[in-house]
Formats: sequence, C-alpha cells, structure tokens
Amino acid sequence: METFGVVVIGAGPGGYPAAIRAAQLGASVALVEREFLGGTCLNYGCIPSKALIHTSDLYAQMKSSASLGLKAESASFDYSAMAERKDQVVRSLRNGVRQLLAGNGVKVFDGTASFESRKRIVVNSSAGSTVIGAEKTIIATGATSSMPGFLPRHARVVESRAFLDLKSAPGSALVLGGGVIGCEFACMLAQLGVRVTIVEILEDIVAFLDADVRRELRRQMEKTLGIRILTGMSLESITADEHAVRGTAGGETLEADLLLAALGRKPVTAELGLENAGLKTNQHGFIEVDEYGVTQVSTIYAIGDVTGGPQLAHAATSQGLVAAENACTRQRRKNEKLIPYCVFTSPEVGTVGLTEQDAVKQGREVKTGKFNFGALGKALAIGHPSGFVKWIADAKTEQLLGAQAIGIQATDLIAEATTAIRAELTATELAQTIHCHPTLSEAWMEAADVLLGEPIHTIARKRG
Amino acid sequence: MVRAITMPKLGQSEEVGTLVRWRKRVGDTVAKGDILFEIETDKAILEVESFFEGTLLKTVVQEGATVPINTTVGFVGDPGEAIPEMAAVSPEFRKPEPLAASMQGARPATPPPTRGMIEARPEQPAALVGAVREPPLHPTPSAPVAPGVFRISPRAAKLARESAINSAPIVGTGPFGRIVERDVKNYLDSKGYYQLHITPAAKRLAAKEGVDVLSLDGGHGRITVTRVERAISEKPQTMSRMRQTIASRLTESFTTTPHFFVTVAVDMTDLVSFRIELKAQGASYTVTDFILKAVALSLVEFPIVNSTTDGRNIRWHGKVHLGLAVNLDQGLVVPVIRDAEELSLAELHDAATELIAKARAGKLTPDEMGGSTFTISNMGMMDIENFTAIINPGESAILAVSSTLKQPAVMGDQIVVRDIMKMTLSSDHRIIDGATAARFANAIKQKLEEISLWKRLA
Repeated sequence: METFGVVVIGAGPGGYPAAIRAAQLGASVALVEREFLGGTCLNYGCIPSKALIHTSDLYAQMKSSASLGLKAESASFDYSAMAERKDQVVRSLRNGVRQLLAGNGVKVFDGTASFESRKRIVVNSSAGSTVIGAEKTIIATGATSSMPGFLPRHARVVESRAFLDLKSAPGSALVLGGGVIGCEFACMLAQLGVRVTIVEILEDIVAFLDADVRRELRRQMEKTLGIRILTGMSLESITADEHAVRGTAGGETLEADLLLAALGRKPVTAELGLENAGLKTNQHGFIEVDEYGVTQVSTIYAIGDVTGGPQLAHAATSQGLVAAENACTRQRRKNEKLIPYCVFTSPEVGTVGLTEQDAVKQGREVKTGKFNFGALGKALAIGHPSGFVKWIADAKTEQLLGAQAIGIQATDLIAEATTAIRAELTATELAQTIHCHPTLSEAWMEAADVLLGEPIHTIARKRG
Repeated sequence: MVRAITMPKLGQSEEVGTLVRWRKRVGDTVAKGDILFEIETDKAILEVESFFEGTLLKTVVQEGATVPINTTVGFVGDPGEAIPEMAAVSPEFRKPEPLAASMQGARPATPPPTRGMIEARPEQPAALVGAVREPPLHPTPSAPVAPGVFRISPRAAKLARESAINSAPIVGTGPFGRIVERDVKNYLDSKGYYQLHITPAAKRLAAKEGVDVLSLDGGHGRITVTRVERAISEKPQTMSRMRQTIASRLTESFTTTPHFFVTVAVDMTDLVSFRIELKAQGASYTVTDFILKAVALSLVEFPIVNSTTDGRNIRWHGKVHLGLAVNLDQGLVVPVIRDAEELSLAELHDAATELIAKARAGKLTPDEMGGSTFTISNMGMMDIENFTAIINPGESAILAVSSTLKQPAVMGDQIVVRDIMKMTLSSDHRIIDGATAARFANAIKQKLEEISLWKRLA
C-alpha cells in the first residue's frame, strides 16, 4: 500500500490548490478526483458560465450601441459556437491544472475515494480498486445541485450543470429560484433575447445582499433586461412534455421552453464512508470543522462547500490553503473570516463585510457613504452610468467594515474594498489614497469622502 | 404649569441617589405613574414614577450623576413654558474622594458626607481608587511645571495622542524639562514603536479610547482592532455602587468577625413527601418556607444567635427579622421578613413570595433590605452538596442551605435512599460557642425532620 503525507479528496478550486500547497511544503500528496480536475467551478460553474455571460454581455451591448456611435444593431449570435468556445476554455484550464499538479509532484488518482479507516482510503474506479494510506486527509468534495422530488424528470427541466451542456438557447425560460445562480443565468438568457420569468419563494431575489443593492439589481433586471420577477411565490403543479414546461405561480399558469432549477446545492458525502473514519455530518449534511479547518478527527480536514458556509470557489481555495498549511506545518492558521461575494448578473454585484442591515441587527453604530457611477467621469465615458459603490464604517473610528458595489465591473472593484477592510483601513486613509483618473475605482475614494462628509463630486447632504 | 422633579428619598438611610438612566427623553409626554428615570442606591436600582403629567421639558441631572435627595433633576410642564435656568449636572463634575470615603464606611447605612452640591459616580479608570488607579494617558497642557510653562508642548501632545501612546513616561528636554516633539519621536524610536505593525483602524481606536499601544502584550504580527478591543475590555472599570457595597461589607464582615462553621445533614424525605401531599391539597409551600419557620422557631429558643456584638457590647434583639438572600444578575440582595417569629407558615410563605418577586423586579426599597437579625442563604436550586456563607454585618450567624440530594443513608441496619439536605451555620465565635452553634443547628434539623410539627403548622 502506498502511503501519502496528505491525501486530498476532490480536485475542485479548494482541493487542487490544497494539494499543490501541501506538495510545496514538502509532503507527499495524492489527489483523488472521480470526474474532472477543476471541480464544479471550472467545469460546470464559475468558468463556463462566465464564458457564456461574456458573449451575452457583448451581444447586449452591441444591440444597444447606437448611442455610442456604433451601427451594430444587426448583430446576431450562434449559441452552439458560444457553447463550443466555453468548452475550449474549460478544456484549456483543465489541462493547466493537470500540468500544475504534475509540476508540483502531486499524484492524481482517478476514482471515487472512500474511507476504510481514519488513515486508509480506497479509490474505486472502473479500472479497479486501490488502497492508499493517508497521514492527513483533506476532504474537498464540494456540493451538487438540489433536484427536489416535485420536479418532473424531463429534458426540459434542468439544473445548472445540464443547463451548461445545452447546445442551443431556449426561446423562453422559467427560472425556479432567485438566488445567485438563478439570477446569473436569467440575466444571460435575457441578454440573448430569451423571455425569462424568475419565481422565488422568498420576499426578494438574492436575499443576502444589502437592501440598496437589491433594489438597484431588481430594477435593472426588470427594466433593462425585461425579466419578469415573481417573489414570495412558489411554482406549483409543474409538468413537462415535448411542447413545453408548465407550472402555476400565484394562480397564474406559466409556460416556457425550459425550466432551470436553481434551488441551492447540497454537500457531496454519500460515497465517502465517513463513518469508517469516525466522522458524522450535521443535520444539514455538512461536515463541521473548527476555525482551523479540522473535523472531529484531528488528522482529517474539510474545506469548501462540503463544510457549509458561503459556497464560493475563492472561499474554498483560501480554506484549502489554510488546511494544507495546518496539515503540513507546526504553525496553525485560522480560516479567513472576510470573504468577498461576487454576482455575475447584469449589472454585476460585489459585496464584502458588514451590510447596513447587519449593523442594525448587531446594534452597531455605523456611517455610510454612497457614490453613484452617474457622477463618475469614466463610467459616463464608457456608457455605464448606472449603479453605485457604498462604504459602511464604524461611526466612532471610521474603520471600514463593509462595502457594496453594483454596476459595471463591480466584481473586480470589490477587490480594493476587500484589501482595505482586511488591512483595517479607515475611511480617511482610503479617501487620502490617490486613485488613477479616469477609472471606476475612483468611486471608492469618492464614497469615502461622502462618508466623511466632504465629497468633491457630489453635493454633501447638510449635516443635521 | 412647570413642576420640578426631585431626587426622591427611597429609604431612611439614603441621602444621595445616582441617576442611572432617564427613561423619558426631553419632549416625551409624561403621564402620572410613568417611569421617569432609574436611580441606583447602595443596594439596588429603582424606578422612579412621575407624580405629574405633561411633557418632559428639561433634564438637569444627567445620567451617571449622583446628587443629594430633593435635588431638582428635571422639569415637567406644558411645551413652550419657561423653565428656570439651572446648570446641568453631569458625571464629569466628579470628585474621586467620596468614593474612597464610602468604601471605608462601616456600614452603608451611614453614607459618605456630601461636600458641596454634586457627587458623581466615577466611570473611568482615572478615577478608580486604590491599586488600580491609573494616571491619565495625556496630561492636559494646563498643568504647569513652572509658571507659564506647559509640561508638554501642544505639538508633542498631538503626536503622542495620534500615536496612541502614554506620554507620562517621556522625559522632556525642552525648557524647564518640557516635553517637545523631538522627545516624543525619540521615545517612540527607543520603544520600537516604528517596528510595530498597527493597522490604521486599530491606531485610531486606541487613540480614541486611551489605550497605550506600547502596553499591548507580546505576540508577533500586526496589532489589529481585535487586539485593541481586548485591551479596552481588560481596562479596570468602576464597579456599580451595589457591587462596591457588597465588596466592602463582605470584606468587613469576613476580616473582623471570627467565623466558624457547623454542618448538619437533614433528612428531608418525609418533609418532601408531605410538601407534595400539601400541594395536591392546594397548599403550595417551598422548601424555603419550611426552613424560614424552623429557623424562626429555633431563634426564639436560642436568643444568643439572634443577638449582635461589636466585641465589647452585646445587643439582644427582641424580634426575629429574617434576611433572605436573593441572587440577581447585578449581585445579591437580602430582603427582610420582619417579626418572623409572629408569622404562621402561610404568612411566611406570602411574605417571602412577595419580597422575592419585588427583588427580581428591582422594586425593593432600601427599608425592605435593612435591619435583619439573622440571614438564610438557600442555594438548594443550584445543585450543590454543601457551602459556607459569610455573616451579614450586624448579625452573628447565617445559615447556608444546600441542595436536597438522594443519598444512601443508614436507617436501623439498612442502607436506604433518602433525601438529604446539608445546612452549614456560620457563627460569630465571639458570642456563639461551638456547643451553642451545634445545638442551634440541630434544633433546626430536628424541626425539619419532625413531620408531626408540620402537620400541626401547615
């Protein structure tokens, strides 16, 4: 039996960086993957969806580019070509991951891992079974889309993974669930001219977002993209046949070519044989870990979606690196607490740290500063004047505690805010930092000025 | 018409009151009976109701300030009415000495003499007395070392303040030994300040809260807000007046009264089943009720335990006033059941129930918490085997009652399971001899175990 210092189960955005870092720290490392290197993120999530969204974004811009002086109204798209390009991007990144792993001396096992005991793992594949020994194990098996039983099993009813495999765009779509995944795909389809209806059981879409941001997002999705959003409703009596998929919401019958179920994701633990390692999942099916990433068994770590938490690739990556370092060195590092969120809707949303609602809930006194892109030179010059950025700071020390951005490139813009908050900067420092002109990032500086009550490019509200 | 609201006198012994919190804001409508504000006495926090109706026009005494009884604290009237001019009384006008005086006082029954108009509750460590007194971080430039010369230059003071450090240890090299900016810089350099990685928000917070970042203990890496917040939470804080009173009284009692302890185990089995029987008949008694009655009866038999000494004189008490310790979040209060020897079991139950409810609601008046001649501390609900209590000043014994636990006991030649409750009597050995304490403790035990007695009394 071959024994490794570290065995990582799952080669997603949490698992493969963990394997590389462990190898960098001198451990002998095995990485077990039952499907594709890169996991959901690279193969069926972040990357392919962004490849499609990029095209739909460009297409939508071209269709409305007359105001920019372009004559591109006649632009058209070929969905199968879009899908092919997306597959190429995925293949190329997947190869990249394979090379990185090989270059770092990580041994990759194709198959499904299952614990035989705390320190023995069997890898099952079509080629047979191999038993490997593991001093330390990092579980990074991730999550998969929920497909509740009330949904008919039919080609017209898809979750995100099957959706990404489509070779043609539907003429109309029902999106069940107004969370991040549902809204991203809804925007992408709407940009391509597909009639989209979102049905969300909660009172609003993407409920975790700051209320200001949600209002702006919903306004633009409804007004600019023409998406119909039904909130506080469930989709009932769902049926699908060769002509259409139908359901009723609030007494009205809705019909479309396709139903996309975006109802959340559930952890992947079924074939892990956790009980053989002395591990149990909690009542929601997640593997619980402490702030160092350690499970109830001290030699076994778990990271990413399988542990619950924010279900974000970048959070899993950070946790993977922390777990690998904690497994291979004497130094112990806690998981990072500050996790930025990005939503690739149209407009994009980036958010990090405390929201105003959080502050109210915690009874914490805060100041806010908001700056609209409509007052920013660069945003006007590139024809994207809608949206805003917003800071939330401690009222007493002006420590930056949270930030939200909605609008063009908001998902990139949030990086500066994340760095500032993690470095515990104050609004004064941010405001005094020189930002390039003309750029979108200037909005952070202006918003900090607004928070401090001395803005240059907007009229300060009179202080009571 | 404008009516002045005054600091009420809530007990015979109270001469000052601390206004803890206004429950109405200026401009709020006030009805008769509305709670206007809360005051803190040595023993409790109390709510003060309005005798008038109208609008709260002005608050003269601010939250945290301590003022003599009958001082005007605010005005109620109709909106727009003229209010007499009065200087605001805020906690900042504090004098640290009276606190020290009150800590030395023999009993809180004699509160510290109030000198002048205002006596405020100190809230910051700078005003703490005793070992935890700390110098202010930045001496104000108005403390001259020589006529017309400040100890620290304004520029130097600003640098020290913005660097979040204590300027007191800095040696001045300016005229008359004054600290100038260069001195602060040299000091910072010599202390390794420039090697510290302090996040901007951490520095700002430390400067605002008066935390010296040089005093933050070891560790490597950067100094974050979390670290400064920890330092803030670890700063000494003035305890509430109630807690200070508890501290001084317990210290006084335990250091001046020679305590000794006698423990007895009471077989409560029969009383427990009798109590259940009574409950089924609609008469609900607590274990405490039976103990109160047994103690009251025993104190009549042993008047020495119901007396007091100062070491030279003995004072006999003709009546039994039973103190009953009640635990609250803020600390312990001891309401007193007066003339307990005259009360039936049912009357004791009613008196105890009422006082405990008042204690939990924070509605006990100071007069309801004084004058006890013996105290019972029942921790039966806390699941403990045994404990000892400290004698309440002014008394010579206290009974500590522990949990009733199922235990093996020998009856005849059999080992059986019985409900056993331990009680420990703490006695002042100056007037209570060991044998007396033993007999007294056993007198209570025998009464609790004698079921025929309770059948007569219940």
